[in-house]
Amino acid sequence: MSILKKLKGNIFLVVVIAAYIVMFIVRPDMGVESIKNSGYYIKEMLLIMPVIFILTALLDLWLPKEKVIRYLGKDSKAKGIAFSFILGSISAGPVYAAFPMCVMLHKKGASIRNIVIILSSWAVIKIPMLVNEAKFLGLKFMAIRWILTVIAIIIFSWITAKIVKDKDLPTQIPAHIGPSLNRDACMGCGLCVKHYPEMFVMDGKKADINKEIDPDPEKLKQTIDVCPVKAISNQGYS
Amino acid sequence: MDVFTIAIWVVTIVFLIVSLVKDKAKTKKALKMALGMGKGMLVSMLSIIFAIGLIFTILPPEEIAKFVGNQSVIVATIAAALIGTITLVPAFIAFPLVGTLVGAGVSVVPAVAFLTTLTMVGVVTFPLEKKEFGMKFTAVRNGLSFVFAIIIALVMGVII
Repeated sequence: MSILKKLKGNIFLVVVIAAYIVMFIVRPDMGVESIKNSGYYIKEMLLIMPVIFILTALLDLWLPKEKVIRYLGKDSKAKGIAFSFILGSISAGPVYAAFPMCVMLHKKGASIRNIVIILSSWAVIKIPMLVNEAKFLGLKFMAIRWILTVIAIIIFSWITAKIVKDKDLPTQIPAHIGPSLNRDACMGCGLCVKHYPEMFVMDGKKADINKEIDPDPEKLKQTIDVCPVKAISNQGYS
Repeated sequence: MDVFTIAIWVVTIVFLIVSLVKDKAKTKKALKMALGMGKGMLVSMLSIIFAIGLIFTILPPEEIAKFVGNQSVIVATIAAALIGTITLVPAFIAFPLVGTLVGAGVSVVPAVAFLTTLTMVGVVTFPLEKKEFGMKFTAVRNGLSFVFAIIIALVMGVII
């Protein structure tokens, strides 16, 4: 990947870094303050994200597709809506913690509408937050805002599903482990099979990946380097 | 750590142990997937976090409160909703702050608009959301959330 491409892919990071550089030149004290302020969010991320990733991956492998379709799919109706609200409300962590979970659920057949409900309720309807709100703004304020928010989410999730279709979401590369092989580029020299026979097999005139095993990273790297047409790449995990 | 975070940890650890007992290879695969997901999101998450830290310094919550408190209700509502969109203030700061504002006699309409866009609409999380769900989904969801945040605020102004 060229540097330019990399920059383009991380344009937001570039903007943030540039803003910090400007800040440190113009107002170094505020730059330090900004880093300090970020500390709280880093802690928040570290407390919740590892467990969210593990939970998402475990659910990805163990949760049967039919179950997701039944409870969160297009035909799950009111049950799906209720289920999505509960799922979003009992969650913890910032809204971006909901992203990997929702991507996984959508891949397994959850409807767009229910994904919007989970994301939105994950963001606004948190039970610890509701307690806090009642404490500072009164029970009545909290209750009315909660009811209105639930109604609003029910309405705009329906609108979103009318506008956005499943095909508008990025197609998920199936989560896979290990290398991928570009069979169009492969010229069938067999070097990879010779180098790493557990991982690569010949399938007719071209090489193929033996999907059953977990790759040995070192051996895989050597095999990638040895391929004369660079048909093997280690995309890692999607 | 609040009780829900702890609960998620407990559930996940139990799930992990059950998974390990049932199928070791599958569990290993899951952990690798989790690591891959973490690596894939790390840069985006750090960008978001440092952007929030920066915005928090440039737009301190007290300044926002002072500004919103001095405007007419309409201007204040739109401004509050917009500021809520760009910033992400933790709930334990936002609620007491808004509580003081409302206590000081500021209309609830901008207060509610701020509280709702604060969490539901995200400019800083937009790039990551776009990467995961695509432009159309992200634009529609955030756009509608913004509109409905204002509607919620207006309705609340009428009720309370």
